[in-house]
Amino acid sequence: MSNETLIIQAGLSERPRKSRLPARLDLLQSMTGLFLALFMWGHMFFVASILLGKDAMWTITKFFEGYFFFGKAYPGLVSIVVAVVAVVFVLHAMLAVRKFPINYRQFSVYRAHAKSMRHGDTTMWMWQVYTGFLMFFLASAHLYQMMVWPQAIGPYGSGGRMWVDGLWPFYLTLLLLVEFHGGIGLYRLAVKWCWPNAGREFLKKLKWGITAFFLILGLATLGAYIKIGIENQDKYLNGEHYTPAWVQQAEESAR
Amino acid sequence: MSDDQKNTASGGKTRQRMLTFHILRYNPQDPDSKPRMQSYQLEEAEGMTLFLALSEIREHQDPTLQYDFVCRAGICGSCSMLINGRPGLACRTLTKELDADISLAPLPVFELIGDLSVNTGKWMRGMSERLETWVHAKEEEVNLSKAETRMDAELADKIYELDRCVECGSCVAACGTAQMRRDFVGAVGMNKVARFKLDPRDVRTDDDFYELVGDDSGVFGCMSLLGCHDICPKELPLQTQIAFLRRKMATIGC
Amino acid sequence: MKVIFTDVLVIGGGLAGLRMGIGAKRRGHEVIVLSLVPPKRSHSAAAQGGMQASLANVIKGQGDSEDVHFEDTVRGSDWGADQDVARMFVNTAPKAVRELAAWGLPWSRVTPGDREVIINSQKVTITEREEARGLIAQRDFGGTKKWRTCYVSDGTGHAMLYTASDRAIGEGIEVHERAEAIALIHDGKRCYGAIVRDLITGELRAYMAKATAIATGGAGRLYSITTNAVICEGIGHAIALETGVAALGNMEAVQFHPTGIVPVGILMTEGCRGDGGLLRDVDGHRFMPDYEPEKKELASRDVVSRRMEEHIRKGKGVKSRFGEHLWLDVTLLGRKHIEHNLREIKEICESFLGIDPAEKWIPVRPAQHYTMGGVRTNHTGESPHLKGLFAAGEAACWDLHGFNRLGGNSVAETVVAGMIVGEFIADFCDKPENTVDAPIALAQEFMAREEAKLKALLNSNGTENAFKLNSEMQEVMTRSVGIFRNGEALKEGVAKLQNLLERSRNIGLTSKAPGVNPELVAAYRTQKMIKLALTVAYGALQRTESRGAHFREDYPNRDDQNWLKRTLSFWRDENATLPELQYETFDVMKMELPPGWRGYGAKDYIDHPDTAKRLAEVEEIRKRMESEGKDRFAIQETLMSFRDKLPENLRGLNERIDEPLNG
Repeated sequence: MSNETLIIQAGLSERPRKSRLPARLDLLQSMTGLFLALFMWGHMFFVASILLGKDAMWTITKFFEGYFFFGKAYPGLVSIVVAVVAVVFVLHAMLAVRKFPINYRQFSVYRAHAKSMRHGDTTMWMWQVYTGFLMFFLASAHLYQMMVWPQAIGPYGSGGRMWVDGLWPFYLTLLLLVEFHGGIGLYRLAVKWCWPNAGREFLKKLKWGITAFFLILGLATLGAYIKIGIENQDKYLNGEHYTPAWVQQAEESAR
Repeated sequence: MSDDQKNTASGGKTRQRMLTFHILRYNPQDPDSKPRMQSYQLEEAEGMTLFLALSEIREHQDPTLQYDFVCRAGICGSCSMLINGRPGLACRTLTKELDADISLAPLPVFELIGDLSVNTGKWMRGMSERLETWVHAKEEEVNLSKAETRMDAELADKIYELDRCVECGSCVAACGTAQMRRDFVGAVGMNKVARFKLDPRDVRTDDDFYELVGDDSGVFGCMSLLGCHDICPKELPLQTQIAFLRRKMATIGC
Repeated sequence: MKVIFTDVLVIGGGLAGLRMGIGAKRRGHEVIVLSLVPPKRSHSAAAQGGMQASLANVIKGQGDSEDVHFEDTVRGSDWGADQDVARMFVNTAPKAVRELAAWGLPWSRVTPGDREVIINSQKVTITEREEARGLIAQRDFGGTKKWRTCYVSDGTGHAMLYTASDRAIGEGIEVHERAEAIALIHDGKRCYGAIVRDLITGELRAYMAKATAIATGGAGRLYSITTNAVICEGIGHAIALETGVAALGNMEAVQFHPTGIVPVGILMTEGCRGDGGLLRDVDGHRFMPDYEPEKKELASRDVVSRRMEEHIRKGKGVKSRFGEHLWLDVTLLGRKHIEHNLREIKEICESFLGIDPAEKWIPVRPAQHYTMGGVRTNHTGESPHLKGLFAAGEAACWDLHGFNRLGGNSVAETVVAGMIVGEFIADFCDKPENTVDAPIALAQEFMAREEAKLKALLNSNGTENAFKLNSEMQEVMTRSVGIFRNGEALKEGVAKLQNLLERSRNIGLTSKAPGVNPELVAAYRTQKMIKLALTVAYGALQRTESRGAHFREDYPNRDDQNWLKRTLSFWRDENATLPELQYETFDVMKMELPPGWRGYGAKDYIDHPDTAKRLAEVEEIRKRMESEGKDRFAIQETLMSFRDKLPENLRGLNERIDEPLNG
């Protein structure tokens, strides 16, 4: 046994250096949160492409499936992206759950505190916990589905999922959860790291503005998919995929 | 002199409100005592603060009522309590700014001494020992005949700006994290570390400060709820100081 | 019985107590500090304005030295100060400032170049020297020839207290918070510690120590309108008095600060006037130049307070529902200055008056502010009557302030006396003969006595209410022993206080709640405070002259012939209703600065027979030595040698820009 080990064993070593892990975990929690929030912004814009028409949405979908690079769609590419997001998501959840109340006492103390403080940022954190907690389940389900059946993404597929499969309440809930959780989270990131170094009142206004924007966009998008779902029930049930007219023509002429 | 100033001096007699104080009563030294709310009625007076109101209640209605006042001028930080649910310095809270129904309770987190009195002193001493809130100088002995070491005037002001903390405990009581995790160092502690970090007379490095606050009961435990910042009676820039410290400590950790 | 042993027991956790404790601890002695409240809440924190020390860094302080500080202090005291002590003090003050700087105190610093200041209500541009860059800055204060008051923005006391307190924590000094000494343990010759009540549990404990030091601050709460914190009840004074052995000095010397806000008496710092603020009357007229053409608003506090009351009596006060007041006008300083250098003032005006001092005038009236009197000590801080009992700061009559303290000399005294007395306490503890031979029986006896007293109060069927007695006492003191005093009112006041003292022996309690029991606290403190009030009132009645803050309308002149002496009050008989007074006479022939006109205030005074002789002597020595080319230190040494009275580590000179140290 080395001398050093003996000294450590006797409890006589110098104060052990504090672990650097908490710093890394804190940073990682912020970074995964930021990644997910930014991803959700992009995601929202992609799915909202349906508002520009089925062709636009199809194009975006096929873009991610590599259609325009390889001349053929590989839905597996989407699975890979989803898998990456899922990993980040799980990581973020694991890091964030450290901050959750770990027992009923902590939970009830915090709730009473928030009630008596009547303080926006304090109350908002409870919403972050609630929404985060629910997303463990809802977002996981969604991610799983997208990872396993990426080919189901498309105007008919997505619309059918909303209406025929009756998942629109699921997506409506998820939309609310994501927008509130993400909005609050981004705001908190800004005040936490003081970047951008802007006034909190301004940041808060910005946060609500962004949340409102994405909620409206999200609701409209959801409505559009439901409408497509209603109008194209048969096609969805027949397993038909939407293909834009110009693609059909091109394919036909190629044939 | 403006007419306005003459007017405030003469002042007409107006009917005063009847105030009702709902005060949390509990004496841990008395085995028969149980936590309860007790109500007192008091006629409001001109310029009445919670200090004046509580003194009057103790002197004329209930001599057993416990509370802490020292400077009664908003300087010493003794009298922070939950005023209608939020922490604040009672001595400089004017009753006219509150509704006629006023609830008073002791600060949470701190050990209760009795009624509205809590042991912030013990908590703060613990915090000071843990964070070593004194300048760690290179030389222990100061040459007392020599002129002082020079310091930039602006830097001195900046240090004082953070030194203005009165350790009243409001930030800790306003902190959701501190409510849940009793070992959390609180804004008061992080502000101190930021203060000594700023001080060129302190030889401690960022690595040393990391040893003090580089964990989840320190700066990484803070969830940026900012109750501290919004409630601080001295309006200390707590948000930016904590963020500053977090960035420095995160850098050390990575 | 719980007994705690230590080398040094410091009663009081303010600046003086902490600094004494640090000194003794650094010399290797165990120290326990008792404090009514967490130390950082002590009243030292309220000293907003600053600390005097002749650093001479700013241009308006150029030429300042220990000599000028000494003269200002002695003149301010109206020759009531002990000149040896004043010399020890002025020599140590710069060291104290510099020590605190090294410990992390963020003193405001000098920025070279032009800056605009208000002097005598005129905007003036002054230019700070490049050599002074980054050195500690000074501001102007009342009663001083030079700008000498070092400051930390608007929170000097707060910053000093935090620095000292954190230092004490760093030194590992034990502080027993919420602990009140209610009696000193002694055998008539030697003090052995104190009986202490825990203000959380109500339990009594005995503390036994080689040296016991009182640093409990002032006794402002003897008056109804005071700038003092609610804990400044003079209990430290009282327990020394109650030994029947130790004496209190000059208790009649009570300072009234010119600018307490109306009605609550919260202090508006002297910095307001030092920085250029003015006093105005009901017509908005600036009246101080009419009375004091030279120093105007910046005459010493006793003078300004008296002039203000005089002016109100002439019908020039502003009437309000809280009585009459005058205005303090700081609007001319500008918003930036107020929000930066006088922020505390702004906060107080906003919170308590609902006004913005940058726009409106502040209603002020003199309020009790400082207790010059205290536990009489010799220059080492030890009681000459009770061995092993020390005192420092406001609780002591060391006697730096005589009959009027200069602004900025109080926080200065706390740390300076703390440094000096701390060393002497360590010396005392070092001596083998001063080891406590643990007279446990004595502690037991005192414990039993105090327990019995408290039990008697708890079980008393008395009809008197402690709170009521306390406020009656405050009223008597305010009415009869205030700024203007006269024989008749004082006689009446003394009689009323005697009656109150008798009544206080018949206090009954409505509550027997276990724990601290605030009513019980009020009861035993009131009993002590009335005794203290009597030392003030009776001392004032006997002193048939006017000196410093003690002003007798029936004896308006300072009378050096009969009254160049210090009042000592003893309370030897527990059942007495009056203190026994003795007097300590000053030796004019040993004074470096013989009595004369202060430079402000009344010019009529009755000379001491030795004054002329000593003046001539001093004049002759000065002239002769100057012609011999002797420096100021040598001349001073010849006039009144003091350096060997200081602890060795504090005897050195003080470096200044214009007085560099040799070698």
